[in-house]
Amino acid sequence: MINNIFKYQVCNRCIMDSTAIDIIFNSNGFCNFCSDFLTAQNNNNNYNNLSKFIEKIKIDGKNKKYDCIVGVSGGVDSCFALLKAVENNLRPLAVHMDNGWNSELAQNNISNLIRTLKVDLHTHVINWEEYRNFQKAFLEANVIDIELLYDNAMMSVNYRLANKFSIKYILSGNNTSTEGFKIPSNWSWFKNDAKNIKKIGKKFSNQEINTFPTFSTFNFIYYQMIKKIKWISFLNYFNYNKEKAIKELEEKTNFKKYPYKHYENIFTRFYQAYILPKKFGVDKRKLHLSNLIMSNQISRTEALKIIQQPCYPDIHEERKDLEYFLKKIKWDKEKLNEYISQKEIYHNFYGSEKHLWDTLVIINQKIKSFKNFFKI
Amino acid sequence: MLKKRIIPILLIKNNELVKSTKYKDYNYIGDPINVIKIFNEKKADEIVVLDIDKSITGEDLNYELIKNLASECFMPLTYGGGIKNIQQAEKLFSIGIEKILLNSVNFNNLNLISQISKKFGSQSVIAAIDVNKNFFNKIYLFDWIKNKRINLDINQHVENCISHGAGELLINFVFKEGTLSGFETELLDFLEFNISIPLIINGGINSITNIQECLSCRKIDAIGIGSFFIYYGPYRAVLISYVSNKDLLIGK
Repeated sequence: MINNIFKYQVCNRCIMDSTAIDIIFNSNGFCNFCSDFLTAQNNNNNYNNLSKFIEKIKIDGKNKKYDCIVGVSGGVDSCFALLKAVENNLRPLAVHMDNGWNSELAQNNISNLIRTLKVDLHTHVINWEEYRNFQKAFLEANVIDIELLYDNAMMSVNYRLANKFSIKYILSGNNTSTEGFKIPSNWSWFKNDAKNIKKIGKKFSNQEINTFPTFSTFNFIYYQMIKKIKWISFLNYFNYNKEKAIKELEEKTNFKKYPYKHYENIFTRFYQAYILPKKFGVDKRKLHLSNLIMSNQISRTEALKIIQQPCYPDIHEERKDLEYFLKKIKWDKEKLNEYISQKEIYHNFYGSEKHLWDTLVIINQKIKSFKNFFKI
Repeated sequence: MLKKRIIPILLIKNNELVKSTKYKDYNYIGDPINVIKIFNEKKADEIVVLDIDKSITGEDLNYELIKNLASECFMPLTYGGGIKNIQQAEKLFSIGIEKILLNSVNFNNLNLISQISKKFGSQSVIAAIDVNKNFFNKIYLFDWIKNKRINLDINQHVENCISHGAGELLINFVFKEGTLSGFETELLDFLEFNISIPLIINGGINSITNIQECLSCRKIDAIGIGSFFIYYGPYRAVLISYVSNKDLLIGK
């Protein structure tokens, strides 16, 4: 194998390229991302186990008001997860987190979905002023993973509610079929990093954690190991195909589809289509499209054609989002340009739990192999 | 005849969007700009924004926030809260507000209605009153700033507002506000004369059927809605929704 990170190269099978720092190409020019995906997919035989798994959720949730939580963003994956939970006669509590950037489309989809399926909903609205201060701080810190804030809070909200209602299963729309590619290590950051959020918030916005729901390594251990709450990539139990899922949602719940992934949240859209490519040289569509290629949902030729198009489908929409971003963050265009031109700084520069997490993972592996060795 | 309107009414406190119940127990709803943007995309007929701090604190208006709200709202936007003089009204019109709502100021200065109405036309002024009911279900005029009954005859007060040039009348039913308990059109029986200007009612709307009942009431020209468009289900989950007149016709 030749590690070719210094020369620009695109994988011959998917469309991942050397903008991913940990990409390795084999002699056929195939990369480790799609190879790993195939291995993982072959190991995923979950969809033979669906009925067994559903039974287990029902038994564990017997006599409780709800037997599972489904987090809904308004996007296809999470909406489909909720639909499937209800169709399999589970009794889910739908949970939504509002970070002040919800799109109308998202609200509309959630509304149609829960009204049709007659599911209870819990919305956690994060205080916008506080959230803005954290977002601003993350921007000024020049770190790549600004969405760490959303992802971290979302985990916290889901686990806390599961705990409150004594629910043992959180079913998420994460899935190998459309999100099974490992995210390149330089494209995002460790998501349980509450310390990183605290440090950056304090340093750049003088913002303490007041109402922001954070999720740390210890929270993870507490909820997963002590409270035994499981986070499940529910769609792996199905032969998940995005296009078919959209059609089914459209027919059954009046779902409206998005032009591209993550259009349910205006910040996520602007972040992925403007900030990431312009400031960090990262185009996340490569990851999603490669994923679709490898799960036979799109051809490589088609994906290459899509990737040539600009991240924003039209310039008018880009301008509208940009103006909205500036209004919400209270920046002007000059400040944004200055930000875009500044160099990236790594998350761990500001203090992080990643090292702690990595150490714990190694310890856990050692304990496991020790147990295996002595057949404990 | 103009079509009857369905109007989301949004409350701002400390520059945050809140929702109250019977003018108490404020619940945080989120960023007003984003919520206005969602209602805008849902093509609401109009939107009313009330800054409930300003009349109490006497602070000047937060024009920057109001301007940002107006820039996300392509339908008529009404602003109310803390307006004491025509200069403030002028400034509000210049930053994109279409109608001014006056409430407590009308207790001692009805001239403000006349001034705005003369300069900008009566269609740009909404006179609002808050009404509550006593132990014997008798409706009385309520001063929400002092949180008590005000010794004015409701019908006389309404007549005064109209004669000074108000273009619309908004009646807030305090005992209904935020309760999702349903609005009964009989509540309007306290009015002793036909209101000559469009009447907006606000308080308690809790279902599509309830909206339809109100729309078919001859006296009502528009319905103000808060909780029903903001909350969903037993946990009062924040979920912005809207129902247009058109949706109701399709639903029939």
